[in-house]
Amino acid sequence: MSVIERIPRFVVTALIALAIINLLIGVFLRYVVGGFTNYMDWDPVSFTWVEEVGEMALAWLTFIGAAIGIRSRSHFTLYVFTPRFSPSVQRAIEVFNHLLIAGFGLLAAWHAITLCQLNWSLKTPGLEVSLALLYASAVVGGVLIAIYAFSMIVSPAHRDPNALH
Amino acid sequence: MLLLSVAVIFVCLILLSMPIVFSLGLAGVAGLWLGGYPMQQLPSALVSGSQSWVLLAIPAFVFAGGLMERCGMSHALVELARALVGWVKGGLGMSVIVVAYFFSDICGSKMAEVSALGSSLMPPLTKAGYKREESASMIAAGTAMGMLVPPAIFMIVIAQVTNTSAVTLFLAGFVPAFVMMICLMVLIYLRARKYDWPVDAKPSLKRVGKAGMEAAVPLVVPVVILGGFFFGIITATEAGAVVAAYAFLAAKIYYRNVSWPQMGQIAYESAILTAAVVFLLAVASIFQYLMGMQGVPKLLGEVLAPLKGHPWLFLFVTAFISMLFGMILEGLPAAVVLIPVVFPIAEEMGIDPIHFNIVQTAAVGIGLFLPPMGVGLLMALKFANVSVSQHFPTYVPYICALVVGLSLIICIPEISLTLPRLAGLIK
Repeated sequence: MSVIERIPRFVVTALIALAIINLLIGVFLRYVVGGFTNYMDWDPVSFTWVEEVGEMALAWLTFIGAAIGIRSRSHFTLYVFTPRFSPSVQRAIEVFNHLLIAGFGLLAAWHAITLCQLNWSLKTPGLEVSLALLYASAVVGGVLIAIYAFSMIVSPAHRDPNALH
Repeated sequence: MLLLSVAVIFVCLILLSMPIVFSLGLAGVAGLWLGGYPMQQLPSALVSGSQSWVLLAIPAFVFAGGLMERCGMSHALVELARALVGWVKGGLGMSVIVVAYFFSDICGSKMAEVSALGSSLMPPLTKAGYKREESASMIAAGTAMGMLVPPAIFMIVIAQVTNTSAVTLFLAGFVPAFVMMICLMVLIYLRARKYDWPVDAKPSLKRVGKAGMEAAVPLVVPVVILGGFFFGIITATEAGAVVAAYAFLAAKIYYRNVSWPQMGQIAYESAILTAAVVFLLAVASIFQYLMGMQGVPKLLGEVLAPLKGHPWLFLFVTAFISMLFGMILEGLPAAVVLIPVVFPIAEEMGIDPIHFNIVQTAAVGIGLFLPPMGVGLLMALKFANVSVSQHFPTYVPYICALVVGLSLIICIPEISLTLPRLAGLIK
């Protein structure tokens, strides 16, 4: 596996870990710290940022993971008619499909750039970071989708003949 | 007209073996373009569809399930179920169903469940003299029933698209799943008597106790979920986090059989599965935008108007369609394409949203295990090493038992609604 392939792999693993640990911090803040401050009659500790971190991590995880999924063929696909065609026709269909997927990714990325610009000055209430950080996930994701789709055109990943779908 | 062209594009792409999620996305783009809607809807729907607090329960439960499976918790459950019911006539078969019920509790993904049950139950069943077709039927039917046992990813998704509470839906699932379990167990008992199936030796109290002790670690999970939700202590997302932390501690401190690189691999696989699920939801939200703009729910409402006076008939018809969708498209695409369209009609007809969602969940669960192409069934058959046609005659009674269970759930809404009502979550 090349270094370039390892980066998104590492990033999604880190993001899922971040998402789950963040949830646990949320539970801790709400039940333990919240209960304690409530008991002591202190000012409650804010945890609105927990929700923002979680949702942001999920959005990034989704787009990067969806792009990786193109190559690892983890998106559900029906193979009903195509396996009956000759290998060269099958290959042509696959190239056609991945060109469309790449186009979809680039289109999403292109229009997401506009969304980033529109939301540049808006800040999230908890973390007070720019909302563009959220929409940037669609830009990066769209570009990655195109890259992975092109990689399938150049050197297709092998499909497990025993795979169910 | 616009939606017809969109539907044609969608179907053509699927037939060309385009992944379903991209078929949906490209058809959606075509719809935006043909209808002259702003293309910015594409990224904006994608981002808003993937950014959701409730959906964060998915990575947590998937990771927890993967980890608990790797620890070998399924074996502990198998042992307990055998000790409990293995000595009854047809008991080993019944224990498959019991295991499926409990295992669905710790395992969020159907495919992972079939492979775990297939690999841990096929050998003892074969050894005990069960035919492979019979064992595959039990595993398939049991897992289909398990669709209703929380925490199912499907339930989180369906709660999201219908804007109902995931916690209420989770809580509502326990009893309908139990009803289906009884249907299957009665069938297995009758078949065991007819074909004179072997029985396990009656276990000593010591063996039951030992099996119970070992299964106590995985059984904490349903207790946390059921108790936490019933008393309204935690949300679905928080339950996911707690279960993930519990699985992590159990793996590292109690079982000690999962290395750090293996943990990383499970996390990675869970991330990719989560991404596939949430991305599908995100892409489908483009469709929901289009259907809303085109007034589809109203149109469908008019088409289905004759059914209005008969809610149960409406439920049967939609459940049947969900079942077909589940068989052809796999469960989640069915949920994101079909449910948002029919849900508003059901609501208007006065069907309880929770009841409706439970019925559709059960129907999709059965669909996944319907011949000739339900993916869950194909997976179970792979473990049994039998073909769909070889297996079919044995499987028919099991499908019937599942459909009887589904019919009971449709006709008696109380099966789904009593537990959430007792918890005070619905009126």
